[in-house]
Formats: sequence, structure tokens, C-alpha cells
Amino acid sequence: MPTLRELQIDFMAAILGDGAPNAAGCGPAAPRLAGELVAGEFGVARRLAIYADNAEQHFIQSLRKSFPVVHRLVGENYFTQCAREFRRLEPSTSGDLQHVGAAFPAYWQRRHGSDEYRYLADMARLEWLYQESLTAANHPPFDFAKLARVPAAGYDLLRFRLHPSVRLYASEFPALAIWRENLRGDQEPALIDLSSGGDRVLLARAAGSVALHPLTVAEFAFLQRIAAGAGFAACVAAAAEVACDFDASGVLEKCVRERVIVDLCERT
Amino acid sequence: MPAAAGIGLRSAHLAEVLRTRPHIAWFEVHSENYFAAGGTHIEQLARIRAHYPLSLHGVGLSLGSTDPLEKRHLDELRRAVTRFDPALVSEHLAWSSVGGRHANELLPLPYTEEALRHVGARIAAVQDALGRQILVENIASYVEFCGSRLSEWEFLAGVVAESACGVLLDVNNIYVSAHNLDFEPENYLAAIPPAAVRELHLAGHTMVPSQGRELLIDTHGAPVADTVWDLYERALARFGAIPTLIEWDTHIPPLTTLIAEAAKADARLAAAHADAA
Repeated sequence: MPTLRELQIDFMAAILGDGAPNAAGCGPAAPRLAGELVAGEFGVARRLAIYADNAEQHFIQSLRKSFPVVHRLVGENYFTQCAREFRRLEPSTSGDLQHVGAAFPAYWQRRHGSDEYRYLADMARLEWLYQESLTAANHPPFDFAKLARVPAAGYDLLRFRLHPSVRLYASEFPALAIWRENLRGDQEPALIDLSSGGDRVLLARAAGSVALHPLTVAEFAFLQRIAAGAGFAACVAAAAEVACDFDASGVLEKCVRERVIVDLCERT
Repeated sequence: MPAAAGIGLRSAHLAEVLRTRPHIAWFEVHSENYFAAGGTHIEQLARIRAHYPLSLHGVGLSLGSTDPLEKRHLDELRRAVTRFDPALVSEHLAWSSVGGRHANELLPLPYTEEALRHVGARIAAVQDALGRQILVENIASYVEFCGSRLSEWEFLAGVVAESACGVLLDVNNIYVSAHNLDFEPENYLAAIPPAAVRELHLAGHTMVPSQGRELLIDTHGAPVADTVWDLYERALARFGAIPTLIEWDTHIPPLTTLIAEAAKADARLAAAHADAA
């Protein structure tokens, strides 16, 4: 009899459809495996197909849940076809199905990155950032007493810290409008002109869900530098480079109030 | 954990449970759904935990795999256990990964001495890592290995003896496997040491026509079948009143439907309590 490990390797190959899948959706069970299973009146292929089908459904359902907008944009049939191909290329490597979507944006980039549907990769990227934001760590509110202890001379070197749920996103497409139109499942989405300009978006968890806020080019540059750990003066300079009238104190106050910025440290 | 009926708590019902505080003895959640670093679901479950006993039920640890135990998964489970202080922690007598690939489906083991030693050692390692006993649940089976030298119930009892784990006995799974693999469910109940059984599961299954007969699939998407209620009563007669969970994972119904299913289990548990008295 094969070892436990040999049986598991053959079983996994059969239910993940390694090689050419048969009519039941299973990979060709190695002769070693087929001879090790009791066929009974239902047969080995039928029995293995239950596991294969369950495993595939769990995987695809997890993607549907994480990428509702991409699902709506491409429709059930094409989504399922692509999800199956993605699974063959990048099978799950975690016992926690919530991880399986991490590489899905890159899959869409490979599949449609250079054709007229290349916005799909951008939408998948936005949806995955949403998932990351949804499950990121919590953080206590901004401690103003900490700021009060900083001498005025040290402000330029202050490094602010974003809430762990904050994600910054940029696309050459009107991603925010596409996202909002297609997230509402109850009505036909309005047509959106893909050449109507790109979006810069701030994702942050607030009041129990993830909020998506449009950003100006300057705000995006400012927050991007904060995320990179730059000092406050350098963050303001990056924003002023693209908008000379950038209101640094106003944006900073708003970010603190809305818990986008939650901490600070003085550069040592 | 009270010897009463609980329900599987799914994300669709979190807000309603917080708002209405239903009269239910306890809740069980899938551990992996609460592995996140933070966020709303974590906060909601923590608030629910303040009012109800909780069981963490894992589906992804791949206890029977011949790959090394996954440290990241175990670390996240440990964090969830620390965070929610559950009364019970359980996993499945199954494997779901090998060679680094996960099927995310509960797959059957051959019931051999080799597998028994392997799984027993893995369960012991998990219990050491968590610093507590875990319960191990029998899965629904659709296939068996020619090389099995033990019955599934002998294997489960052997795993208990090997690792000192507890048993989460899924009554619906016994019924489904008995139908698909042609064995007597009574033999299963009779072989499990009563002292080890600390939780029972009940769920709905689906009949699928196949080659002139019907295969049963453990779908968790329907009410508990009458035949499974009958088997549950026989389980209570053998094991006494044990905390019992209503599981429903697909086509999830309104919370009131789950509570009504739990009430049916509670009525049978009350009878078991009365018999014991």
C-alpha cells in the first residue's frame, strides 16, 4: 500500500484537476490512487467528483465574495471561467480561504493588461485593497497630548502615521464611478466613459465599513509620502510640487479628525 | 459550555444578534473567519462573546496532512483563542493540503495504523501549541480507502486514546457517511467513548441521484432531516445531554429559522436531562 503522503499527493492531484480533467471535473486519478479507493456502486470518479466540486465551489465563492464588482462587470460565466483558470495557475496555499484573492488582480493584469479591458485589473486591485482595509488592525485615536509635547522647531521632521486600514489607490480610469455603479446590484449600472479621467482614492475603515474618498493629485502625493515615512515638510513639499496652493494644515486637520492619521513620531 | 443547543453564527446575522440578543445558549463560529488583525467582524464577535459562550470551530488546519503544521495558521488560531476565550475549540479528523497546496475541502484519511499515529501526534502538537484540549470532528465521507484496516469509529476512538483530545460528534455526518459507505450508524455511536464526547453537530444534507441510487451530500443548507433527528436521540441516549450545534452554511435562512431548529434540539436535550435525573 502507498504511504499516507503518496496517497495524499495523488488525491490532491485528482481533485485539483492536474493534467486533463475528466468529464466529472477531476484530474486523471493516478492508477496507484484508483486502485486504492473502494469504487462501490457509485464508482471512484463520481465519488472523487464530490470533493473536486466542493473544493472548486469554495474557491470560486470566495472570489465572488471578495470581487463583487469584477463579477458584475464580466458576468457569472466569464468570472467562473477565469476563476477556474486562476485556480489552476495559482491554487490556494492557505487553510484560510480569505487569502485566495491576493493574486487575483495580477491575474487580470496578465489576462487583459494590454487590451481594451485593462480596467478590470484596476478594479480587481481596488476590490482587494478594500478587503485588506476591512480586516486591517485597529488603532486607538490620535493622541493630541503627544503632539503638544513636540516643540515647534520639530514640526518639519514630524512623521505622521496612517491608520492600518488606510490604502491609497490610483488608476488611469474612473474607478470610483465604476465601483459605485456596479456595487449596487438592484439596478442597471449607468454607462461610464472610460476616457473620462483617472481616479486617486483613499480607502479607510470608518463606522463599521470601508469608505472610499476621492483625492486630489496633491492630497494623494501628500498621503503617499506620509505612508512612505517621510517627514512632514517633505510631505508638504511633495504636495506643493503639484499644487502650489495646497492647504497642508487643513488636510492634516481633516485627516486627524477622520482618523486617517492616527499617530506621530519625532525623527531621531 | 451549557448542555443546550447553540447555533452556527455567520456574518449575515452578527448585527441582528447584537441588536436583538436572542435567547440562545451559545454560538459557534468558524475560526478562520476571525483570523483578521482587526475590523468590524472582530469587534462584533467580541461584543457577542461578552454575552454568550462561544466555540471556535476550524476548517483549515489540515490536521491529517503530511505537510508540516502551518505555523501561521496555528499562530492565528492561537490569537483567536486568546482574543475570544472560547469554551470549546475544535477541528476536523481530515486533511485538506499537501505539497503546499490547499483544497479548502475536508478530505478523508485512510484508517491505518500509520495515519492513526500521524494524526494523533499532530493533534497532540496542536494541543501543546494552544495549551488546551481540542475536539476533533468526524467528517462526511464519500469515499473509502481499500487499505483501511480500521473502521472510522475505531480510528476516531484510537485518535482520542493517542492524543487525549475530545470528540465533536457530527450526527448528520455519521448518517451521511453510513448511507454513502454502507455501514450501521449504531456501530459508530457504540464505539465512541462517552467521556470523550463534548459537543454534537446537527445539519441538513442533500440527496443527489446517482446511478439509480442516491448519494447524500453534507451541504449544511437545509433543515435537519427526520432520520438525523432519530439518530440524534439515540446519540443522546448513549452520551447524555451534550452541547449541540445547529449548523447552516449555505442558503443561510433568517436567524429565527436557526433558533427554531435549535429549539427542536433543546426539546430533545431536555428529555435527555430528564432521563438522566
